[in-house]
Amino acid sequence: MLTPDLHVNVGSLRLANPVIAASGTFGYGLDLDDFCPPEKLGGVVTKGLSPRPREGAPMPRIAETPSGMLNAIGLENIGVDVFCRDKLPALRERRAVVIVNVFGESAADYVRVIEHCESEAGIAGYELNVSCPNVSAGGIQFGHDPRTLEELTARCRVVTARPLWVKLSPNAPDLVGTARAAAAGGADAVSLVNTILGMAIDPLRRLPELARTFGGLSGPAILPIALRMVYEVHLALPELPVVGLGGIESGLDVVRFLLAGATAVQVGTATFRRPGVMLEILAELAAYCRDQGVERVATLTGALEARDA
Amino acid sequence: MVTRSDLAATLAQRSRLTPTCYSVRFAFDAAIPTAVPGQFVMLRPEQGDRPFWGRAYSIAGTGASDTQPTMELMIKTVGPGTALWEQLPLGTRARIVGPLGVGFPCLPAPRSVALVAGGIGLPPLLFAAHRLAGTDARCDLYLGAATAAELIEPQRCRAAAEATGGQLFPVTDDGTAGEAGLVTEALQHRLAEGRRYTAIWACGPMPMLRAATQVGERWDVPVHVALEERMACGVGVCLGCIIPTSDGAHIRTCSEGPVVDGSLIDWETAC
Repeated sequence: MLTPDLHVNVGSLRLANPVIAASGTFGYGLDLDDFCPPEKLGGVVTKGLSPRPREGAPMPRIAETPSGMLNAIGLENIGVDVFCRDKLPALRERRAVVIVNVFGESAADYVRVIEHCESEAGIAGYELNVSCPNVSAGGIQFGHDPRTLEELTARCRVVTARPLWVKLSPNAPDLVGTARAAAAGGADAVSLVNTILGMAIDPLRRLPELARTFGGLSGPAILPIALRMVYEVHLALPELPVVGLGGIESGLDVVRFLLAGATAVQVGTATFRRPGVMLEILAELAAYCRDQGVERVATLTGALEARDA
Repeated sequence: MVTRSDLAATLAQRSRLTPTCYSVRFAFDAAIPTAVPGQFVMLRPEQGDRPFWGRAYSIAGTGASDTQPTMELMIKTVGPGTALWEQLPLGTRARIVGPLGVGFPCLPAPRSVALVAGGIGLPPLLFAAHRLAGTDARCDLYLGAATAAELIEPQRCRAAAEATGGQLFPVTDDGTAGEAGLVTEALQHRLAEGRRYTAIWACGPMPMLRAATQVGERWDVPVHVALEERMACGVGVCLGCIIPTSDGAHIRTCSEGPVVDGSLIDWETAC
């Protein structure tokens, strides 16, 4: 029986399979080890790390919505120092592919996080978070304006030779423009999409559900939007590897993103519901390849058929 | 050692407890890890994504029927998510992630413990009384509710307390059963009468947990409280269930809790 080859190359980064844990849904890599060992995945993206620890947003931070959820966690994190000291050694020992999600309130902050990580072995690459909708400074302000984004990416590019991904905002007015700017700044790949800005209201109390009023929508509710965006960016910039995410819950969802043009995918919110879901997704992906006679999963990228007009 | 699992189970039994609360018993396909009273599970139907999240329920007890391990949960209906298992037919397949979080400090067993339950806060304390029945611990169970009709399983609670050599103290806000007043006031009265405890374990609404912590401080008895908070994952990664602590930081209810030393909580902010 065919054993499909699941490996993919996101630019220069070779992954054993295309399923990566998304930032903010898998802790610092080993938090869900009992459900999903990180070394079984294509990679793990850490919770967004800033130069110093962050307390995050006030409560309530999360709200349930139809086929999804809103979050406004506010990038609570332990800071890059503590991550490198307390979390990274165990991940390194496990040979997990670790992608550090980088967050800052200024361009200097982003550079500082990367520089701190550069002296550490066991980090496969970086993902710049320029699309978090839940912080008052930084993040999204870099993700909406192509020129600012290109500058930020270029500043990070000069301090590392490691793979550099930029996680784009679906809330940006010009998605392809921001993808092009990331590439121009030297990004090796773009991750899309981050959460979509949304809101929930408690009608009985006449209050926003979230303390921050707005939050990021995730889950299957956003899958069609994410798929369309991956498709658009891949069509416009076929040479730029795209890491697709947004509501993926099954192996078939992974295939959908690959066909739309993604080279790899990230799974996020599904892990909240089923902490071992990524292992199930990998099994489903392998089964799809066997059933469909797909020898190499990498050949699925952009392999969408054209509809007859 | 952490032994959390995503377990397959079937809704096997259901019974009404009060006009707003019901009990469900799930039968598992395979062996389940041993749970500590105070630990919880994330429950969701195997099919469908409405509601989108699983729901966190404290374990009311574990057992076995035929060869299958079982688990009892008690649910108060407050919205569509909590109403779900009241409506789904027996035999519905479920996924149960657990046991999760930190439970009550059962080992070593406390010599004499006041179990203080407010409303649907009962399950972990009933579980604790059953678990401690095999030890030297004596458990008094303070069972509070708004009215007599809202008291959950008073006979069963009495039997559970008496099996440890302890007593049941029913308390209702309106005095329609047991003592009139708050369950923490009843605890305070017993202490003032000279009854002594080496531990107070409480579960219920936040103001009740704060009051229980204050009673413990007054009588120099360590208090552990089982907290409740909205959570998406229950396994420590969504960061949606934080509770402020008195040192200005916060904890995740699901992972550092739900059972914590009451003196660690910043009650002013949390309530």
